[in-house]
Amino acid sequence: MFFDVPWNVVVLQLFFGLALGSIFVLLASGLSIIYGLLDVVNFAHGTFAMLGAYAVFLAVSLSGSFGVGILSAVVIVGLVGGLTEYLLLKPLYGKDPLLPLLLTFGLSIAIPDLIKIIFGLIGKPVNYPQAFSGATILGPLILPNYRLFIIFFTLAIMISLWLFLKKSDLGMILRASTRDSGMVQILGVNVSRIWTIGFAIGIGLAALGGAISAPMMAATPDMGVDMTMVAFVVTVVGGLGSLGGAIVGGLFIGVVVAITSFIAGEYATVSMYFCMAIILLIRPRGLFGEIGRE
Amino acid sequence: MRIRSVLMALGLIATVVILMGIAEAKEIKYGTMHPLTGAYSVLGRDQQRATEMAVEEWNAKGGVLGNKIVWVSRDDQLNGAVALRRAKELVDEEKCDFIGGTLSGSISIAINEFACKNKVPYVAYCMSDMVLGTDQCQYGSAFMVIPYSAALAVSKYAFDNLGKKWYSLTADYRWGQSLLEGWIWQSEQMGGKFLGNVYAPLGATDFSTYYAKILAANPDFLVMNNLGADQTAAIKQAAELGLTKKMKIVCTKTAMHTIKEVGPAYDENIMGGMTFYWKLGEKYATSKKFSDNFMKKYGQPSEQDGESGYVATNVLFMAMEKAGTVTDKEKIMNAMEGLKYQLTKGPEYVRACDRQRVQSYLLLKGKGNKAKDWDLADIMAEIPGESILMSCEDNAKKLPFINIKLPK
Repeated sequence: MFFDVPWNVVVLQLFFGLALGSIFVLLASGLSIIYGLLDVVNFAHGTFAMLGAYAVFLAVSLSGSFGVGILSAVVIVGLVGGLTEYLLLKPLYGKDPLLPLLLTFGLSIAIPDLIKIIFGLIGKPVNYPQAFSGATILGPLILPNYRLFIIFFTLAIMISLWLFLKKSDLGMILRASTRDSGMVQILGVNVSRIWTIGFAIGIGLAALGGAISAPMMAATPDMGVDMTMVAFVVTVVGGLGSLGGAIVGGLFIGVVVAITSFIAGEYATVSMYFCMAIILLIRPRGLFGEIGRE
Repeated sequence: MRIRSVLMALGLIATVVILMGIAEAKEIKYGTMHPLTGAYSVLGRDQQRATEMAVEEWNAKGGVLGNKIVWVSRDDQLNGAVALRRAKELVDEEKCDFIGGTLSGSISIAINEFACKNKVPYVAYCMSDMVLGTDQCQYGSAFMVIPYSAALAVSKYAFDNLGKKWYSLTADYRWGQSLLEGWIWQSEQMGGKFLGNVYAPLGATDFSTYYAKILAANPDFLVMNNLGADQTAAIKQAAELGLTKKMKIVCTKTAMHTIKEVGPAYDENIMGGMTFYWKLGEKYATSKKFSDNFMKKYGQPSEQDGESGYVATNVLFMAMEKAGTVTDKEKIMNAMEGLKYQLTKGPEYVRACDRQRVQSYLLLKGKGNKAKDWDLADIMAEIPGESILMSCEDNAKKLPFINIKLPK
């Protein structure tokens, strides 16, 4: 017993928090990569996550496979992201920093309306994949398989992303561009293309977050608003532009929300903002942010 | 010569009569507000469409007492401040003589107050407490049920048929709390055992974190006092965690679009309340006619919110006909009191003392994988309107729920 609550309930609550936090990690890591690389505050981040949810709905409807759905969400929405950067954001670089912010804000309004025109106002259901239905029983713990999938899937994605950034040439160029894009340009690398790739990767991660969330709610045109807010809170807590910060921040916020839900459910959402305020007061650059990026 | 003079006189009289007729023919300006953008736009659009259909039907038969209806609508964004601005625009700029609409109970109370101050008749389309206590006003009338009525209707069925032990998941705002009050009161009357409640903030997306507590309590059924995206996520995640196999889930209010969004997880273990569902057409010819017309015009059946708007709009114009005037607002509101009609369901009336529409409440059961197109659920019970409405005195002064202590 822990404060009169059985241990298995406490552990289950932490497990739910980690699963929720894993979705936050995917959303925030994408936002962090985009900000770290381009210094663009992407207000349409949740909107791209929403596109991921619709992509998974479409792909699952056509193929019947959730795996194909996830892959389609990343590839299609990632490409849409890359195109957005190439066609709309690129012309704004070097101008007033407010312009990209306003552009992404505009996209966050226009894209959901476009989705409403195409798919209608009623959301689209995405069923839980058959392979991850049911639960795994570990002694007194009953862990839903889909939540286990979310945790391990996010873990696999984050390890792959880390390996890509640390070990591959492109990853190294991406990291170098985050530090000093001018120097990378002088060394003969087409930095403009790197920015497009980085933006597409960030958006692909957002789409993944939206896609794996879809079975838990439904794909709805306005679901992106909350996702953008969560991504910002986690990114601020973890530190702007820091991938490690996004991971730690995401899991931390997920667990805080889960525990608050258990103790005083009505404050679950507020607890997230409360954490952000505390972190900002104590450490304005976030848990893992660099000085000067607060 | 004499005949010529008579003909001239008759012609003159006819001209004067025609001119007088033209001078007396007045446009009736009716303005409505709906959430046309945001998460609840699907319901706002339904309200708007049903109002349009009602106005077109009246105009097609020559208007009200020979006066054409001019209808304008505005997007209130489901925001109280915006809705009040829209109401002022409708009255001051559009010169509307009558206003209606809104999807939120708390917004309807604010609009009702505005309508009363400005002596503009207002017909509310949503679940609202505006006919209770000091919020009652001569210019306001409500056409969906009072929140407590929904709770009383669904809870009576649940305690009779599903068991006595219950737990609730409530959206943390006034509407959710009103429903919870009704449930706790009914539980006390019917020997129910209230195991606990969890409040979830409006817009919550992960409900699994609330379910550990509920699973541990092991109730006979779980009550959901929420709506829209919140309800969709709550049901989907309850199904994922196996709750729906262990207990029934009863949504005090649900909606067709929610059932569609949930998909197969909205199965026979999930029940939900509504004021209107198109399958009522199997019981009432009026329901069938309304649903068929709506389906033909808009390609899908009306949600309960649209049906409520259709009835409100019709009753407003019927009251004008009964009063024999389109301008005397007091007379029109008086004529609405006790007005009997049958438009979309069985016979109904507007209660004279508080201008609350007295209507039945439906309880539906999901169809899971068997759901197809708009055949999403089956009607299990139609609870009569009188049985879920407190007396005029209770509504005005002393509702029994005021002594209910809500859990923290």
